[in-house]
Amino acid sequence: MPKRPPITNRVRELRETHDNMSQSALAKEIGVTRQTIIAIEQGKYSPSLESAFRIARVFGVGLEDVFGWEPDRL
Amino acid sequence: MSYREKIAWVMMIILIAGGLFYFNMVWKASQALGDIAPPIIPFVIAYVVVIVIASIIAVVVIAISSPTEANAPADERERRAESRAGHVSGYVLGIGVITGLLHYSVSMDGNMLFHTIFASLMLSQIAEYGLQIWYYRRGV
Repeated sequence: MPKRPPITNRVRELRETHDNMSQSALAKEIGVTRQTIIAIEQGKYSPSLESAFRIARVFGVGLEDVFGWEPDRL
Repeated sequence: MSYREKIAWVMMIILIAGGLFYFNMVWKASQALGDIAPPIIPFVIAYVVVIVIASIIAVVVIAISSPTEANAPADERERRAESRAGHVSGYVLGIGVITGLLHYSVSMDGNMLFHTIFASLMLSQIAEYGLQIWYYRRGV
């Protein structure tokens, strides 16, 4: 199984605090598929820097408010 | 399941079925001859035609069921999955071709060389779709 990236994220939490934004709506805003948002939330995929910035901008927060570095997962 | 994962599943199943059909024919021909059958071009043509027609029908049916996704380009995760799968499938093809050539250099059996390289092509395509599914599901 591919090793999980040592990156955590609060995408699901931020969606829920933004009027329960759906995964599809976020995916449309970012320009990816819903499955990619699911993979990001599950920690199976680390988005590109561009998509990471797009996600942060959708929620009106900084990049580090969405993504974190967890060295123990290395 | 995403549009591209559905396509990968269908293509993998079609290729496995086509490969089994083709090599079953070659196996039977070889048994009838009592030796490895030479390349049977009508079988190869039948294989290619069946694969192409089945693929077109399958892709059209899936695209009709998910028109929005079908029109959208692959996103970054899908492109990465496809790229990695293509990279590994290249190794499958390369190993098969080198194995066939090494065998040929020893046995001078051109029939076996043909079948080995044709099987390598099929296996590399099956591996490509199988790995795409793996990466879509397990992460990339």
